[in-house]
Amino acid sequence: MEIRTTLFNEIAGKEIRNTYARAFLKAMPAAIAARREAVMSSFPDPDAAQACGQAIRAEVVARLPELLEQFEQNAVARGAKVLWARDAHEANGIVLAIARERKAPYVTKGKSMVTEEMGLNDVLVEEGIEPFETDLGEFIAQQLKRPPFHIVGPAINIPVEEVCDLFMEKAGMEEPTTDPVELGYAARLFLRNKFHHVALGVTGVNMAVAETGTIVNLENEGNIRFNKSSPRTQVSIMSIEKVVPTMADAMHLTRLLSRNCTGQAISAYVSMDSGPKGGGEIDGPEELFIIIVDNGRSEIYADPTARQALRCIRCGGCLNLCPVYAKIGGYPYGWAYSGPMGQVLTPLLLGLDRAQDLYRACTLCGSCREVCPAGIDHPSLFLYYRAKDVEGDRRLRGKRRPWKEFGFFDLWSRAVAHSTLWNLGVRLVRPFVNRYSRGGVITTMGKYFEGWFRTRNLPAIAEKTFHERWKRLRRDTVSGDPDGRRGEP
Amino acid sequence: MEKVSLFIPCIVDLFLPEIGEATVHLLRRVGVDPLYHEAQTCCGQPAMNAGYREQAKRAAKHFIDLFGDDDVIVSPSGSCVYMVKHHYPQLLRDDPVWLRRAEELSGRIFELSQYIVDILGVEEVGASFEGTVTYHESCHILRGLGVSDQPKRLIRRAEGVEFVPLPLADMCCGFGGEFAETYDYISEEMVKEKVESYLESGADLLVLCEPGCLLNIDGYLSRNHPEKKALHIAAFLAGTGRGG
Repeated sequence: MEIRTTLFNEIAGKEIRNTYARAFLKAMPAAIAARREAVMSSFPDPDAAQACGQAIRAEVVARLPELLEQFEQNAVARGAKVLWARDAHEANGIVLAIARERKAPYVTKGKSMVTEEMGLNDVLVEEGIEPFETDLGEFIAQQLKRPPFHIVGPAINIPVEEVCDLFMEKAGMEEPTTDPVELGYAARLFLRNKFHHVALGVTGVNMAVAETGTIVNLENEGNIRFNKSSPRTQVSIMSIEKVVPTMADAMHLTRLLSRNCTGQAISAYVSMDSGPKGGGEIDGPEELFIIIVDNGRSEIYADPTARQALRCIRCGGCLNLCPVYAKIGGYPYGWAYSGPMGQVLTPLLLGLDRAQDLYRACTLCGSCREVCPAGIDHPSLFLYYRAKDVEGDRRLRGKRRPWKEFGFFDLWSRAVAHSTLWNLGVRLVRPFVNRYSRGGVITTMGKYFEGWFRTRNLPAIAEKTFHERWKRLRRDTVSGDPDGRRGEP
Repeated sequence: MEKVSLFIPCIVDLFLPEIGEATVHLLRRVGVDPLYHEAQTCCGQPAMNAGYREQAKRAAKHFIDLFGDDDVIVSPSGSCVYMVKHHYPQLLRDDPVWLRRAEELSGRIFELSQYIVDILGVEEVGASFEGTVTYHESCHILRGLGVSDQPKRLIRRAEGVEFVPLPLADMCCGFGGEFAETYDYISEEMVKEKVESYLESGADLLVLCEPGCLLNIDGYLSRNHPEKKALHIAAFLAGTGRGG
């Protein structure tokens, strides 16, 4: 998958004019929020339920190394083969070796963000093994060669007419149709045939239960279950933070994930695998590989502040309510993870230097933090990334900022601590700014603040600031006008 | 007698001093005569948001030195209060002495409407306005300080006011300080939608508690819908008519 995080403004500038996607994105936050609220209210105490999820994820991050070892032991005891990959390259190599050994001409895949992160599909294609995404949206996105637009609805922005053309060309659909049900049926026919003969199925993991060695997947289409039950060999790929301590924890997170993600009380399918098919069982794969991928996360773990990013359970609740995402959609985030989730994860995984706009294109409104069932404080993390970038932090690969900006803030901070200097600064800046004022309103400042003035005016700097007005204000009360209304019209 | 100290953020000081004056008048009307430290400057939020923590720390220490002995600090800006309350302890966490001072201070600083309603227990402040009024929920006030009901109560109690809801009232207006300049094309769309909500509400007036949002929304109104106004709650309640 091509990494396009440095093209944020270019892509966002284009996407913001995409009227079709914008219409959909405008309706989404209110619709999702209403569904979410309705279904959250089925908890006796919704706030306590969220807090419980947040506590589980905090525990996971606190005990991560130990939980991973426990998971491995229990999964192995149930017959799974657990393999560790330090980075994307190693993880892809493992999948490739397994596919080659089994002479698989193609693989089917359940939607998995970590495989997007690894660029697994590209590697498989290069080696002549065709990957078929089997989640309907992901299938469309794959055929269109586009990144996921939304973590839950990867192709939710694609008009049906475009899907029709695509399926006529690539999914063997014979008669054109724009009926979503017919389109879904065409994809189903095409993919069922792939499942029928598949040797190797690749899926992601929503939760890996340490106490039982079980992997849990949540989905709405049944395709992941097919990926896990049709082939002889199942490969499930998880990033290290997917582990949870107990089955009870996994079940609580299942409730929260479904509610925060799609506003469902539970997803249509929840499947659990504890090892491959056992003696006497008729269903399931003959062999189960679980690949545990680090890909930079240990490095994140070593930073006590950044570490909380690993709490994320990929529900997408933050995307649904983000006012910036609602204007630009998922593509500008340039990689596997979009919206606030991507803004939190991508800069850590790729380096702060390669994702500058992701943690800056944010008003710090806090909608994401408010909804997050994992307890991530997104705005505080963005501020942390900005600070680490300014510092040029080596571990997180901060880039440092232009010297002009640094100079400005340094001068500013000296004035801030000395009011005489500050007030002198005000007196110097005022005539410069107010040169542009017409009747107390500024509509342009030439080459300065062009972004602001494109659509907005600004009041001129007051001829008398509050500071300069205070002496008179204070006198008003001394002379017995506590209401302060004297002299007003 | 408690010492109530006024914290006038730099945006108000420079661009909207009428809001500061209205705040003083309003407080006096409810029986509080605030003091004002003339050496106050800026809380440091711009530096904090841009990632310049050492520089923001200088602002924080200056602020704490200046306001450290006050019993209560009141400000007509929620985001600046949030900066002091929430970010100062974060910024100063490696220095136990400063951290303690920052934490002590964080319990004594209030946004204006929060102070009037929660601390003074006053809702009737002698305000009046003939017409329909709606309210924008600024992010730092709503989600940062948990203040939402207080300003709406004050508005509803004003004589002659009919309160109407604002669609998507808690959606960010797109200000975000530097964001409005750097990501102008996104910010514009956000403020445009906010203004569309305002027009849709049918209200005669939009009231809010955050000077940053006011510059953004009123700046957009002034350019594109000059017949409509946004007003800071202090100016609205004091009845001075200016402050937006």
